[in-house]
Amino acid sequence: MILEALEREGVEFIFGYPGGANLPIYQHLPEHPKLKHILVRHEQGAAHMADGYARACGKPGVVFATSGPGALNLVTGLATAYMDSVPMIAITGQVASTQVGRDAFQETDVIGATSSVTKHSYLVTNIDQLPRVIHEAFHIATTGRPGPVLIDICKDVQQADAERINTERLDIPGYQLNGHVHLERAREAARAVANAERPVILAGHGVLLSHAESELREFAEKAGAPVGTTLLGIGAFPVNHPLSLHMTGFMGTGWNLKAVQNADVLMMVGMRVDDRVTARLADFAPKVKTFIHIDIDGSEMGKNVRPHIELVADAKNALEAMTPHIGELHEGRGQWFSQIDAWREEHPLKYTHSNGHLQPQDVLIDMYRRCRNEAIVVADVGQNQIWAALWWNYDRPGLFLNSGGSGTMGFALPAAIGAKFGRPDAAVWCVAGEGGFVMTAQELSVAVEHQLDVKIVLLNNFSLGMVRQFQDDFYGGVRSQSELTHMPDFVKLADAYGMPAVRVDRFEEIGPAMDAAERTKGPFLIDFRIDPEANVYPIVPLGKSLNDFWEAPDK
Amino acid sequence: MSDQERVRVLSVLVEDGSNTLSKVSGLIRRRGFHVRSISVGPSRAAGRSRMTLTVDAGHAEVDQVRKQLERLVEVVEVEDVTGQYVHSRELVVAKVSASEVAGLLKRGAKVLDAGPDGTTVEFAGEGKDVGDFIDELIQHGVLDVARSGPVVMRRTA
Ligand SMILES: Cc1ncc(C[n+]2csc(CCOP(=O)(O)OP(=O)(O)O)c2C)c(N)n1
Ligand SMILES: [Mg+2]
Repeated sequence: MILEALEREGVEFIFGYPGGANLPIYQHLPEHPKLKHILVRHEQGAAHMADGYARACGKPGVVFATSGPGALNLVTGLATAYMDSVPMIAITGQVASTQVGRDAFQETDVIGATSSVTKHSYLVTNIDQLPRVIHEAFHIATTGRPGPVLIDICKDVQQADAERINTERLDIPGYQLNGHVHLERAREAARAVANAERPVILAGHGVLLSHAESELREFAEKAGAPVGTTLLGIGAFPVNHPLSLHMTGFMGTGWNLKAVQNADVLMMVGMRVDDRVTARLADFAPKVKTFIHIDIDGSEMGKNVRPHIELVADAKNALEAMTPHIGELHEGRGQWFSQIDAWREEHPLKYTHSNGHLQPQDVLIDMYRRCRNEAIVVADVGQNQIWAALWWNYDRPGLFLNSGGSGTMGFALPAAIGAKFGRPDAAVWCVAGEGGFVMTAQELSVAVEHQLDVKIVLLNNFSLGMVRQFQDDFYGGVRSQSELTHMPDFVKLADAYGMPAVRVDRFEEIGPAMDAAERTKGPFLIDFRIDPEANVYPIVPLGKSLNDFWEAPDK
Repeated sequence: MSDQERVRVLSVLVEDGSNTLSKVSGLIRRRGFHVRSISVGPSRAAGRSRMTLTVDAGHAEVDQVRKQLERLVEVVEVEDVTGQYVHSRELVVAKVSASEVAGLLKRGAKVLDAGPDGTTVEFAGEGKDVGDFIDELIQHGVLDVARSGPVVMRRTA
């Protein structure tokens, strides 16, 4: 019943793990060869794989887990997907409906534990509910602002039979999608950008989710407005474009932050405007006279920054409606561009590459030279994530995946595996710090089992680098519990899993190691032992305004 | 923002479901809002209940309460009924030791029962009237009080 419903929804992959409370589902799995089940090694891995799959190919990722500990192991993965609006369906086994509430073996209130990290959830205690629930769940997960939906199914329901119910018609009164764009406001917003002396556009994940990249580009070019992206919005606007401001936020580029802080009109599209974007809120974009906010989720309006013009709409529809109304541009535009160019010269991205240590940027620059914009880069969390975001000129959507909102260490390896299942045609590179990597390293088995062409680039700095940097810079230089002194030999670890790997300590070895990775079919790991003192710059000190960013010291 | 301005009264139509109340209350807690009062009862439509919530928006923009509630799939409709264009009624049921309750009856209370140990009365009215009524109860040797949160209805005129 469940499996047939999944087939009807077009599911191809399920990332899962069996246990007592979902064995009835697993019993019938072999009868459904169209559903390819990927057996993970930990349920968190399943959630991140489904997430990476969804981010890479756009289809909802599907996860199975058993009750109690199985379902609870999904929580971090659900929260990660929820924060970043990723469509996912988690199907968890629950104890029999007659056992609910009796503290039965492996009974946990999964709905209670996951309500705050899912877009919606269902507890199914009766077989008659099931067809409707599954159909609704896919609809809710994939439409509007996407997100994970959890279906907790009692074991007796998994075993029951039901008449096939026609589920074509959906009627969810509490779930209405925002349809049309407010045309008057769209015109007003377009005119405000055109009339601005110093306009800036910031683009977030919503632009990617709505596939509005070309609409954004057309609008920006016609309106002569420079565009920056959030960490999750990377790819929404080509970094190589003359109007690009690259990444914004508290680890954004200097010229981006200068532009944001001096803009008179700021248009924010498909983003939440969170604290990582604004830094100290009271000082965010202080010269702006008109904030324009476009988002499909009306609750984002004024949640952090009160817009003067708000458009609650899908980014693509909104931008399409705006572009025809741009009209004449403010004559000060040329001056604004030369000012931004001056900031770009004054505050370039830079790093030290001559202190005898391997620098992470050297690794990424070599990688970028090889795969340009053909490869999907999946980053973990920490310094490695920000280096991978900044030292790569992503010029198309969907090439950079990371846990932006939740900052979940351990995301990259399973998400990269999921991405490869979703996009078997694309090269997939996983960039991770050694700290995050060991949090989900057990999923190496999955990469080896399926001989997935996933290349793992470990930026091994012998520390929880981002924490170490914060401690050095903002917490009195006290390196408390941030140095990783006892870590495995990663080449041997890969070998134990049956995966080829090499270690790189010197600049000259980067090329040959990358060659080997590219030549190898299937997974490959490179342990880059990088400068343990390498830091991420620019960075805005905690609690300070975007104006106060620190740059890489000239060594 | 003053205390008063942060507080919204919302009439919320929800789908009946085992998780609805905890979804609504969980959301309010998680967003840093604070419930001042809540009353729930069946609505006119089958399978749906009407909640009347009085919520303090905390440090958020006051409209966030409505917007966040609207995101819940269990929530069908939210109407902000803060202000004067509504009738707002609270109910109080009280036990007093006195058998002489003329003062309470004059305010519009109804006697539910009376016995040798005292009298049970009920009173409904605007929040302020209910407050005054409870003050008056003290003079009658109040033994116990149960008070509801407000329910509201738009005025006809
Ligand atoms: C699950 C989890 N725990 C803790 C943190 C806090 N944290 C953020 S970055 C970081 C250090 C990551 O170290 P590593 O994976 O080696 O990456 P690096 O910063 O060294 O590149 C930590 C501990 C987190 N983001 N996620
Ligand atoms: Mg590290």
